[in-house]
Amino acid sequence: MSFLLTDIPRILPEILLLVLALLILGSDVFERWAADEQAALERHRASASLAALGLGMIFAITLLQSGYLYTVPDTADSNYFTNLLRNLQSGIPRGSNVPLPVMDMFATDHLTIIGRLLFTGAAFLIVLLTYDNPPLRNPGEFYSLLVLSTLGMCLMAGATELIMLFLAIELTSIPLYVLAGYFRNDRQSVEAGMKYFLYGAFSSALLLYGMSFVYGYASSTAVAADLTALPTSVITSFDTLRELIAQAGEPAPILLIGMLFMIAGIGYKIAIVPFHGWSPDVYQGAPTTMTAFISTASKAAGFFLLLRVLDTVFPNVVGNPIPVFDEFGGWTGMLALLAALTLIIANLAALPQTNAKRLLAYSGIAHAGFLLMGVIAQAAPFSTDRLNGVVALLYYLVVYAVMNIGAFGVIAIVAQDTGSDEITALNGLAQRNLGLAALFTVFVFALAGIPPLAGFFAKFYIMLAVWQANAIWLVVIALISTIPALYYYLRLLRAVFMMPPDISTPMPAPRWMMASLVVSAVLVLVLGLFPAPLLDVLEQVQVQVIAGR
Amino acid sequence: MFPYLSLILWLPALGALALLATPREQHQTARSIALAVSLLTFVISLALPLRFNAADPSMQFVEQVAWIPQWGISYHLGLDGLSLWLVVLTTFLIPIALFATWNSIHAQVRYFQILMLLLETAMIGVFIALDTILFYLFWEFTLIPMAFMIGIWGSGNRIYAARKFFLYTFAGSVLMLMGIIGLSFLHRDATGAELTSFSLTQIMGDIRTGAFALEFGMEQLLFGLFFIAFAIKVPMWPFHTWLPDAHVQAPTAGSVILAGVLLKLGTYGLIRFNLSLFPNASEWAAPAIGILAVIGIIYGAWIAFAQTDMKKLVAYSSVSHMGFIVLGIFALNEIGITGAVLQMVNHGLSTGALFLIVGYIYERRHTREMSEFGGLWTVMPIYGGLALVMVLSSVGLPGLNGFIGEFAIMQGAFISPALGWGYVAVSVIGVVLAAVYLLRMYRETFMGEVNKPENAELKDLSGGEIGMMVALLVPIVVIGLFPTLFFAPMQASISEVAQAFRSVVAEGQ
Repeated sequence: MSFLLTDIPRILPEILLLVLALLILGSDVFERWAADEQAALERHRASASLAALGLGMIFAITLLQSGYLYTVPDTADSNYFTNLLRNLQSGIPRGSNVPLPVMDMFATDHLTIIGRLLFTGAAFLIVLLTYDNPPLRNPGEFYSLLVLSTLGMCLMAGATELIMLFLAIELTSIPLYVLAGYFRNDRQSVEAGMKYFLYGAFSSALLLYGMSFVYGYASSTAVAADLTALPTSVITSFDTLRELIAQAGEPAPILLIGMLFMIAGIGYKIAIVPFHGWSPDVYQGAPTTMTAFISTASKAAGFFLLLRVLDTVFPNVVGNPIPVFDEFGGWTGMLALLAALTLIIANLAALPQTNAKRLLAYSGIAHAGFLLMGVIAQAAPFSTDRLNGVVALLYYLVVYAVMNIGAFGVIAIVAQDTGSDEITALNGLAQRNLGLAALFTVFVFALAGIPPLAGFFAKFYIMLAVWQANAIWLVVIALISTIPALYYYLRLLRAVFMMPPDISTPMPAPRWMMASLVVSAVLVLVLGLFPAPLLDVLEQVQVQVIAGR
Repeated sequence: MFPYLSLILWLPALGALALLATPREQHQTARSIALAVSLLTFVISLALPLRFNAADPSMQFVEQVAWIPQWGISYHLGLDGLSLWLVVLTTFLIPIALFATWNSIHAQVRYFQILMLLLETAMIGVFIALDTILFYLFWEFTLIPMAFMIGIWGSGNRIYAARKFFLYTFAGSVLMLMGIIGLSFLHRDATGAELTSFSLTQIMGDIRTGAFALEFGMEQLLFGLFFIAFAIKVPMWPFHTWLPDAHVQAPTAGSVILAGVLLKLGTYGLIRFNLSLFPNASEWAAPAIGILAVIGIIYGAWIAFAQTDMKKLVAYSSVSHMGFIVLGIFALNEIGITGAVLQMVNHGLSTGALFLIVGYIYERRHTREMSEFGGLWTVMPIYGGLALVMVLSSVGLPGLNGFIGEFAIMQGAFISPALGWGYVAVSVIGVVLAAVYLLRMYRETFMGEVNKPENAELKDLSGGEIGMMVALLVPIVVIGLFPTLFFAPMQASISEVAQAFRSVVAEGQ
């Protein structure tokens, strides 16, 4: 399918993100470039506020366009506003009527829309967190890279074609490599950037390798297949691949190997055991705000992609996570093993950590284990249960993003004041700044899954969904793994509340950083106490296979 | 209908919010607001027994609103004879505990009051939640304020105690969460419903009508998951090791609430969940649990006898007394359960009072070692007199509250086919030991000559302290003399639990 003019509103958020990135880069030229602090601060503030405003507006436009707040009814009178909104909403799915992907490579279904909202929202909160930082070198580059990476994530969420998938991943990752190593004079930051880059390149290679196997398998069967029955003529598109794989009958080993490589490649991006080796070092070394971004938005984008690839390309090797030898298998079986490993190893490895960022890195890996369980729920026999799995996964991703951004945000404020991100730097925070300590408590308890915060419900839904897929053993492991997890989360809180501070002067909390944290904390509370509206939105997601299998 | 339960539940939480708005340094204002809010809650909660229909065994004051319809979770509250007195006990003890902190908590006063009020909301919530997830939310939320109370305002080894308390109970509740999820899915599969239901009343109703019958093996498993969670909270031997640590390190008000109400969450859960949902497994496990309870009775008493620290002594006496309550519950008949519920209230009153008594002397001398005292009666006669009554109430002297509860429990255990006279014979030793260790404590501290010069100058109780003691004394005497007043509202609900229990078990055989 070729590109149509009417496709433009469908990819409007992506277009706007690109424009914003170029705008930030270009507007930096008009600032006063001088060596004094004042000029540097002005430049930083200008770029940061432009990025924040832009991301906020793109978030608002995407929200309006999504129709989750309000959809223009067909009977509404035509006036300037209804026409504008109607045009904006023309490309989005309505009811069961989901438009075909743009040029067969980019779907604009609910999954993509939710992804856009999540990524731009997270990027917005991150930009707020960076606003009060000491001025960055070349802020224009910094913020435009961040926006470009956000654009890549949106593309990852919507990619329905192998080339698009790869480009989206690279567009997300390459800016992040630079951002992780942005403090050029800080050895740890440079090490983080380099490590992230090497691991990232390796994982991209794995992914490409897997893609080539899958493509090769599909295209060689395509000769024999009935080409007219294919959904599109693009062989690399997910729908076509699925059809071809289905027509070829029993999946051959080469296809499974390709799938394994693809899972491994994406596994690096989402940092699950055994592909997690880079993440503690990178999380510890990267600028704290960028750690927050990498650990939330980038990971979430990986899960969007994983879900879509596995569900639309490999539905007939979904397999089973039940631990009976002749039933166990497929990608759900494999992911179940990885999830169990991730939960156990990450939670144990987090116990002895003394660096707060590193501890949160391991906690992030453990959360990836929980998130994987949402994908495993796709093995459930009933389509409602499979949908519940997707809803649980998306809910978890949203909640995880806000609570992790919040936790890293507090660490960023503390590190800015004390110059250290060790757990001991948190000592006596409650006496130095109680508001900040209270916010941190909310985030840490949410991460630990203490009700009634959203983190608890996220875990709870995921476990319900996996139980429906009959992987009760995994639920048991997940539940038990929360006990050591609580232990290390409590170490953070012990430092905050029960240790005496090194210095007792009040800790300053910059205004915009606090704003970002307060928004996150409110979300953690509200999403926990009143999850029904968000769940209603998430339930509209129709991943193709869930509807069709 | 007027939403009494929601009002009582959320009023303390609103008070905590209001406290956030008070200035940080005005300790007196914070104390007054917290006390006023908790007293108001208590006064409103008095409407519950007055408006309670004692003849109706089902849930009363029910409120139900869909909360997360996608998963079948609702905001569902209700009260029956089982929970009535426990709610009133909670609203009664909180103002007393708050008043007890008036002169003993000086650091971060406002936050202590906030935590106390949040804890009140959570504890009331546990007693009135009729949705299993709602129950779990409140259950878990009781941990946070209590752990902070121990960890921030505690003494000595407070951080260790707080962490142990938190991790122990959290580990238990994780198992319970597994049980809750499993129960609801099995219920969904058995009834063929589209949505999972987490409504306790619905699941319980389906079990009683036979629409939802569990396989025996699965029933045992679920029973075990819930039982461990509750047994840790009670705490039953051998899950009790967190309790002495937590009690010794906790501030006085924390100990009063911990012993007075928090431990009752466990025994309440045993009746509400284990007995009502898993009758067959309960009958199967009753002898074993009875043995654990008896071991707890004797062991707690034995260890209490060896203590030299008064607070530790009272803490171990709790292990012993809670053993009685569990024994009454697993007698599996009306009289035993009724006695157990009454004994929960009794234990809350008398042990709360004992912790206050230890707290008073600790505030004056900053030590709790019995060897440091002696002859206090001559120095502080009012204190001595009130302490004697409280000790006797805890010992179980006829005419005071403890006797009634223990008597009913033993009677229940004696006639129970699951337990029998052997259990009673051993547990009677516990009663004797209780008299021994408590009276020994009394003798060493209050009787004899004033043998330390520091003690000769001690001031007797102030008006406020006497007020608190008298407030506790009134229900202690009233329960002792007119137990039927308290038995009457429980009767209908508990008979229903016991009858449903018998019918389900009879059907299973």
